[in-house]
This record gives sequence, C-alpha cells and structure tokens, in this order.
Amino acid sequence: MTSLEISHLRVSFNKKVILDDLSLSVAEGQIAALLGPSGCGKTTLLRSIAGLIAPSDGTIRFGKQLVSLSSLVLPSHKRKIGYVPQEGALFPHLNVADNIAFGLDRAVFTKDQIRQITKEMLSLIGMEGFDNRAPNQLSGGQQTRVALARALAIKPAIVLFDEPFSALDAQLRTDLRADVIDLLRAHNTTAILVTHDREEALVSADTVALMREGKIIQQGSPEQVYSSPISPAIAISTGDALVLRAFKLSDGTTSYILNTQKSLAQSVETGHIVIRPEEIKIHRNLSSNSINGRIAKIDYYGHDAMIGINVEHEYLQVRIPGPFDFSIGEQVALEHIGPLRFFADGKTAI
Amino acid sequence: MNTRMQRALKLSLNSAVGMVAALSMIPLVYLFVRASDKPMGEIVQLLVRQKTLDVLTTTILMVVCVVAITLFFGVAIASGLHFVHLPLRRLLIIPTVLPLAIPSYVFTYTWIALVPSFSGFAAAVFILSLTTLPYIILVTLAGLRSVDGSQIEVARSLGLNYRQTFFRVVFPQIRGHASAGALLAGLYAMSDFGAVSLLNVETLTVSIQNMYRASYDRSAAAVISFVLIAFAVLFVIAEESIKTKSPDGQIVKTFSTKHALIRKRPLQVTVMFAVITFGVVAVVIPFYVLLTRFFSNPVGIDWRSLLTATISTITVAAIGAIIALVLSAPLGVLLSGKVTSFGRIAERTIVVGAALPGVVVGLALVSIGSKLGALYQTTLLLAFAYALLFLAKSVASMTSSLARVPNGVKEVAATFGMNQWSVVRKVIAPIAAPGIGLGTILVFLTAMKELPATLMLRPTGFETLATQIWSSTSINRFNEAAPFALILVLVAAIPSFYISRPDKADRAFI
Amino acid sequence: MGLLVGCSSSNEQTQDVTNLTIYSGRSEEFIAPFLVEWETQSGIKLNIRYGDSAELTAQILEEGSNSPADLFLSQDAGSLGAISEAGLFISLPSDVAQSIPAQFVSVNRNWIGVTGRARVFAYAPDRVKTLPQSVADLTKPLYKNQIGIAPTNASFQAFVTALIQNKGEKFAKSWLQGLTANGVKIYQKNSAIVEAIDKGEISIGLVNHYYLWEVSKGLGRSINVKNGFFTPGDIGNLINVSGAGVLASSKKQGAAQDLINYLTSAPAQQKFVTDTHEYSLIDGANAPAELPRLDQIGAPSIDLGKLKSIKRTQDLLIEVGLL
Repeated sequence: MTSLEISHLRVSFNKKVILDDLSLSVAEGQIAALLGPSGCGKTTLLRSIAGLIAPSDGTIRFGKQLVSLSSLVLPSHKRKIGYVPQEGALFPHLNVADNIAFGLDRAVFTKDQIRQITKEMLSLIGMEGFDNRAPNQLSGGQQTRVALARALAIKPAIVLFDEPFSALDAQLRTDLRADVIDLLRAHNTTAILVTHDREEALVSADTVALMREGKIIQQGSPEQVYSSPISPAIAISTGDALVLRAFKLSDGTTSYILNTQKSLAQSVETGHIVIRPEEIKIHRNLSSNSINGRIAKIDYYGHDAMIGINVEHEYLQVRIPGPFDFSIGEQVALEHIGPLRFFADGKTAI
Repeated sequence: MNTRMQRALKLSLNSAVGMVAALSMIPLVYLFVRASDKPMGEIVQLLVRQKTLDVLTTTILMVVCVVAITLFFGVAIASGLHFVHLPLRRLLIIPTVLPLAIPSYVFTYTWIALVPSFSGFAAAVFILSLTTLPYIILVTLAGLRSVDGSQIEVARSLGLNYRQTFFRVVFPQIRGHASAGALLAGLYAMSDFGAVSLLNVETLTVSIQNMYRASYDRSAAAVISFVLIAFAVLFVIAEESIKTKSPDGQIVKTFSTKHALIRKRPLQVTVMFAVITFGVVAVVIPFYVLLTRFFSNPVGIDWRSLLTATISTITVAAIGAIIALVLSAPLGVLLSGKVTSFGRIAERTIVVGAALPGVVVGLALVSIGSKLGALYQTTLLLAFAYALLFLAKSVASMTSSLARVPNGVKEVAATFGMNQWSVVRKVIAPIAAPGIGLGTILVFLTAMKELPATLMLRPTGFETLATQIWSSTSINRFNEAAPFALILVLVAAIPSFYISRPDKADRAFI
Repeated sequence: MGLLVGCSSSNEQTQDVTNLTIYSGRSEEFIAPFLVEWETQSGIKLNIRYGDSAELTAQILEEGSNSPADLFLSQDAGSLGAISEAGLFISLPSDVAQSIPAQFVSVNRNWIGVTGRARVFAYAPDRVKTLPQSVADLTKPLYKNQIGIAPTNASFQAFVTALIQNKGEKFAKSWLQGLTANGVKIYQKNSAIVEAIDKGEISIGLVNHYYLWEVSKGLGRSINVKNGFFTPGDIGNLINVSGAGVLASSKKQGAAQDLINYLTSAPAQQKFVTDTHEYSLIDGANAPAELPRLDQIGAPSIDLGKLKSIKRTQDLLIEVGLL
C-alpha cells in the first residue's frame, strides 16, 4: 500500500530537458493513466520512477520513503517496483516459466512456492501450459502477457506499465486489462499505465494525467479530465471533441455556431468552445429558430453512430445512440445540450 | 520458384561448398602423403615417445592458459567498455583493438629487447594473450550490443543488482559469442610459431619446425602435424558443445533501448585502469621499443624498398582476402539457412585448418604448386595461400552476417515476385554486406602479418613488410627492421581502427 | 672452361642465358653485394630467393625436379647434404671451384664449401681469466653458471654431431650432461649468447666466430666480448662451411657453375674475409680481423657430409633434456 508522489522532477539527457518541473501524485492503490503524444517523455518518467535514470532535480516518494532527491537516488534494485517496458523485453535464454519466476528471490521462496506463483500468473494471463516455451516461439501479444506476469509475480507495491496492451487484439485487450486491473485492486497495488488509447485511460484509471512536453498539464479523475479539460488540446486528448470558434459578448453571452440566441451585443473576447459529440442532439423539428444542417456522412458503430453534418460553413460530428433512422442528405436541426466550455485566445494553457 | 530449380540450386550450392572444403583439405592430404612415407612402426614410435607427449602437454597447457586468460580479461574489459560510463568511451576501444595490427613476433622482439631475460612458458602465454585478446573483446562487445537494454532494466527493477543482472541476464546471452572468440584465440595459440620459438617454448609447431631442420625429415614433421590436428579437432568439438548450450533464438528486435551507463566510481576506475594497462603493454611499449631501437642506431631508411614492400603487402593481402571471401560465400549461404550435417562437417573441416602452422600450409602448396608450372611462385598463388590459411575467419563472419537476415524478410521479398538471385542482390546483400566486409578486412589484416608461407610461396624478389622485418632480424639488425615494423603496424592500424568502431564491430562477427 | 662436362643437351649455353634463379639461405645483407657484382660481370640477371636455409631445403625437397632453382646457396653443410642425398644436385665437374680444398667439398662433388664458419667460444676478457683449452674443460666447476649455448641452433647441433662422430655417443652424452650439471644457460640464438656475455649474464658462449661482429654491428658499438679458440685439434674448433650446389633440374648449369667459380675466386674470397668476416677456404688466404688463420686454428678433420644426419644428435639432446 504505497502512494507515489513526484514533485518538481527535472530530467535531462545530453543537455536536452526531457522532464521539466513535473509533478504527479497517485494515491495508494490508485491506478493512474498517463496520456500524451509520443516524444513527450512518458517513458522517461516511468524509468525515473523505476530508478533507471537519475534526475537532476526534484523528488520522488514511495509512500513515506524518499527514493529520489535531486540526483541522489535509491538504486533501482532496491525499489520494490514492477516494470513492464514497451517491448516486453523477455529474457531470450529462459523459458516462459523461468521468465515469470525471475524476480522471485530463491532465498526467500521455496521451489514449491515459486511453482505455485508461476502457475497463478500463467492462469491470470491465460497461458496455462506454456511453461516450457521459449520466448522466440511466442507471438507479440503472448510476449506482452508474459512480461506482465513477470512484473506482477513479485507482488510489487508499485507497477509501471509502458503501453502494455497495444500489441493485443481488441477482445484479448479488454479481457486481459480487466483481469490485470482486478488483480491490482485486489492487492491494492499502485500503478501507472502509460497509454495512447484514450478510452483505455478513462476506463482503467482512477486518475488520469495528461502529459505534454515533459510536464503534467492536467491531472484529475476520468470525469474531470473528460468533462472539464483545461484546454482544447487536452480535450482532444481525452476524447473526441468539436473545437468551434466562439466570441464572448458584452452582455455576457457566448456566440458560436450552435447558439440559437441571436444577440446583437458587441464581441468582447475571441476564443473557442469545446463540445463533445454526444452533447449535440439532432431531430427533425426544423424551424426558423433552429440551427439546421444536412447529413453528409454516417459512421455506424453498432452501439452508436457518428453523424457528420454540414452546418453553414462548418462540418460537425455528432454522436447519437443507435438505432436511428436518419439518412444521408437529410436536413436536421441541431441542439447543443451540454456545458459551454469557453477558452479565450491567449489566456489558455496548452 | 519451382522445386526442380530449387533442387538444382541446392545441388550446385552443396558442390561449391564441397569444392571449397576439398581445397581447404589440401594441407591435410599433403600431410597424409608425407606421413605415409614412414613405416607404421616408426610412426607409432614417433607418436608415443616421451618427447611428443611432453610437447603435446605443453601445447595443451598453453592453449588452456591463453584461452582462460583471454576469456576472463576479454569479457571483463568488453563488459566494462559496454556498461560503464567512461570519459572518451568511444576512443577507449581503440587501444584494445590495435594489437591486431602487431604480429606476434614483433611483440616478442620488443619485449625481449625490453626485458632480456624474457622467455619461457609464462612469457609465451603473456604474448599470445596480448595478441588474441582483441578478438575476444570485439566478439564479446558485439554480443553485448545485441542484448536489449530493456532486459537489464527489467532485471534491475525486479530486484537484481548489477552483478546479479550480469550473471543471470547478460552472461548467458553472450556465452556463445565469447566462446567463438575463445575458439579463434585457441586456434591461433596452437598455430603460432614466431612468438613461442623466440621464447624457448616447445609447442607442437616448434617441434614440427625442428623436425624440418633436424633431419630434413618431412615425414616425421607430418606425423607430428597430425598430433596438432587431432588436438585442434578436439578443441573445436569442445567449443561447439559449449556453444550449443546457449540460446540461439533471437527475438527479432525492431528497436532496442539504450540502458543508462553505470557510474560507480570503483568500477569506472577499474575499467579505465585495465584498458590503459592493456594499451600500454600491448601498444605503447612495442612502439616505444621499436622507435628507440631505431633511433639508437639509425641507418638510412631505404624509402623505395619501404614503399614497394608496403604496396606489395597491401596488394597480396587484399587479393587473398577477396579470394577468402569468394571461397567462404557458398558455405556462408549454406549455413545461414537450415543447418545440414554436410554443412557442419564442411565448416569443421575448414575451421580445423586454422590450427595448422604457416610452414605446413606453405610446404603443402609448394608441393602442389611446383607441379603447376607457371602458376608457381606467383602473387596469385600466395594470395590463395592466405585465403586458405585464414578461411576459417572469413567463414565465421560470413555465416554470422548472413544469419542476421531474418527469415521473414527473405520470404516477403519472395512474395514480391523476386527470384532467388534478386533476393540475394536487393535484400540479403545489403543487410549482410557490412558484416561480410568487415570479416574480409580481418582476413586482410592477418594476411599482412603472415611470414612462413610468404617466404616460400612469394615470387622471387617479391618482398612484403613481414619478409623485410624477418630478413633484418635474422641477422640481428633490429634497428633496420624497425621502420618496416612501424609501417606494418601503422598500415594495419587503419583497418583495425575501422573494425573497432561500435556500429561496425558488432556486424563483423555475430 | 669445361662448360659441357656434366651438362645435358637441353642445357643452355652460358652465352644464351639471360637469367638465373638462386635460392639463398644466406642473408641478403651479406651475399647480395657478391651476387650483384657477378650480375654486372656476366650480364646475367639474377632472381634471388632469400629464406632460411632449412626451410629452403625443405622447399627444394618438396619441389623436387620441378624446382625453379638453378643454384642453392646454403648457410650450412647439413642442408646441402640432405639435398645431395635426395639426388637433386649434379656432380660438379672437377674444374669447378678448383681452389677449394677437398676437405671442404662433398665426396661426390655434389656441393662445395664457399666460406668457413669456425666454432669458437666467445668470452668476456675481463671476467674469464683462465681460458678453456678443450670443450671438456667446460664441465669444470670453474665455469659454473657461466656458459651459454643455443641447442636449437643448426651450428651447435652440427658441432655435437661432429662430437659424436669424433668421440662417440657415450662421450657426447656425458659431456652434455656435464654441461647441464654445470648450470649451462640456454639461448635461442647465437646473437643472444653474445649479447648476454656483453651484458654480464654469462661469461662464455659456444657460437660461430662471426657473431661477434654481427652483434657489434647491430648494436652500433663495440662490445666486451672476444673470440677464443680451443687448442688446435680440439673438436671444439670445428670449421663448418657455407656452400653451394647446382640443381640437377636446372637448364642453366653452365651459368650456375660460373657463379660458383666466381664465389670461390681469390678476389671474392678475400671480400668475404673483409666484408662478412667469414673465413676464406682457399689455402693461404687471410683470416678475418683479429682471428687466427684457418690453418692455425687446428680444426679437427671431420667429414662435413656426415653432418647432415642431425637426427641422432637431436635425439641425444632431447634425451639429456637440452632440447
């Protein structure tokens, strides 16, 4: 039961700053998802937490224990941490069972215990009977699973996953992810999950941290980062978003394409608003007061559909639940039924 | 490609390999013919007499010592260079590789000049270890580079400190590489004559040479040569059994992470100390002695003969390396696919040939070459001798380079409608070429230093740097030998340096 | 000039010969000047292959009748004997090398000696007050740990062969054992022995006479070593020869014999004495600087041809542990 506290971390490599005054906090037993574009430093952050890189400044705490203070670090092998790198990195000279049992100290565990734990892990990842296979005989997804098992076998207090599920097919990904998360919760393990999959971040995590250029821009619960992003860029990071030109008027209202109120007040501020696609309703009650548009495209996903509508000069994507009976070419009325998230130009965090 | 074409190709490949193996057996056939000149009783007598057993024991002990020392220091230094953060890290590898440029007899001369009482078994082990350490270092470095940095990070995160990580994760994966280097080192130690004879140690090669001198008894020399071959065969088999224990499955990596370098002070100091000591002992001291020997008794340098010898050396060594390349190609191609027992036997035959001293190969080719009329004592025949002498090296690098071409790549190319030849040209060659090129350079380097076969097979009047060194030192004129020795080392240093560069080295071997 | 004696009909007339191939176990440094002079005189171009006498011998034996060599110059009699025994030399006509005494020519005239190489003991004049009179003296406690030999060296082995011939194997064996018991030091090369005397490691060494000069030249300074001879007639004063033979497979035997005549002519012989510090084999010739004349040394009479079977010697050396 260990929390993870990172404070003003700074990591450079070859005179280039990779992590810049980064702060992140994960409560004990929490699963944190780390979302961000490639190159923003996610892997570096993970490796700093694992103790594989020495920072130049900042602190890292595991619970009460200070593991990293400026460039003084507790060596990696002294931190009880699970690390699953992006490529799995199985030991090619050991079979699956030996890979999984690698971290189990033979001085502490008996042979039977080791065998038992290995069996449990194989069962967890759905690879019973694979004990004696060599890593080069496994598919990419199987290798990932073994790497996961290897990290979890030592029941670490903190686990770091670097895009572990990306090599798996959709069904396997969902199932395995669910199992792994159950396991983590059962042991109250603190975890950081680096992912580029927005939905995976929202569904798996207790807290989502959005990273950009070596900094954490926003951290909060999935609902928070989804509903209340602090910038349009963050909004796009956490889900589909419509970013529309908008103006704040002198009478306090906001003018934008879907706003039915036609005010004649002066524009005071320019900016953008962010709307989620499901926050727009479409219906056939066309009127002169409604904002109308023509359906140009329908992407049907089974449980819902994304409708592309041409409204005036804009092209808007709207999410509606299936089933529906709209068709391409139809004229529909659009209604915005969500919060108004206005971001003024020049005053918004990236 | 249809099966008839496939079978035809396979047949021609196998016959090419067979021809090359047969060529490499020329010395063996020669030895057999010579040995059979003796009645069986005498042969047995020769084999079992105390002297033969003593010499065999000395040879075995020496090889074991050299292999043990070079393995230990080689793996240690290579690991230090790879894992530890050192200033000017990229430059530090140069002194560890430069000894490749220095012939063992030059090493020995310089150390004798420095320490007059320098002689005996320990001295021989010392010199031979110096000469062969670069092989192990280069080969081990190549192996280390192929170990994914992420594995080390995972191991450490699982609670292993550096030492444990090295022995449980790194070492098992480089064992095969290190043992291949040990093979080269051991075979070289077995075949060396220059150093051991100067140091008064009688190994099998010295014994063979003495037989030629004693009674001009080439049959006796041939019989003793078979003892050497028998030992070499055992040695090769022993090395193979070690090699197969280590895993050969390579998970084809699309990228590998660079691990952070270790910054522990004691380790950094130790590695620096080891590298610098080796550099001083193996490079600085020979150079120093050569230079002082020259300047203490300066004679006018014959620039013209220096230039001619240099050009001759480079030319014939280069041709030899290319011939070796051509000869090793069929076997390389064969061994990079599915390994057949035919391929294995061919490889072993060629590798065992590396144990034979230059004088034996030289005489074998004299025996055959003198019957070839105009071809005898030509540059071409000499180059061919070099190719034969160092074929093992060429085969080793050829095989490993071709093995790096992932099977999937070949198959994908085939689906694009490429025939076998196009696949070789457009896909396999670009991937394997760097490694093969570097192996060829290694043969070139070794050929430049060769002496006994050169003396016998060169065109009359054709001087290499090695023959010039010999002709001066044989009458004790070390000061006259020095310029040639210096030029030889400097010229050879260029390809040595090239091989040592990190991005190149790992493709030279494994 | 007797060019036609001993020549086959396929032999080229000397005046038609344009080049001649020589295998030389003699070092280029020493023999080249002579060969160049002959080249100029005769107008015949020489292709000279330099190498080690023993290795060249093995090479010629391997080449057999296909050997490109016309003439073989060797550093010692043993190698010449081996080639002679293999039937690869021609028997030289009696008017070739007439100036060389019979004791320095092989019995069937297959090869002739060109220069003399005397076995001596080199010593440090300031440290050796009592010079040994015979080789037997070297086993005396007076010289304990002071003596150096090079048992792998061909000339030492030739000397031991002569010793066996002269005094019998038993004597030779006990003498060698006596040396070992007296703390004799082993060296790889004769030059190393001379250098060791100069450095003070040992005081006496059994070498060939010209090494003094060779080492001194190589170091570029004078050395604290002198050559000493045993009492005349002692086996230790063995004179070995460098020599030459004409290959039976040669098509230019006439020209080759002409070269031999040159090398054994008085001017060339004198040049050997002054330039390479070897002994001339011609009667009455001068000795190299500071050394007694050949007839003054009192060399033992030994059939040099018998020196080729060094095998027995080697076995003996192995037996006593010196090899």
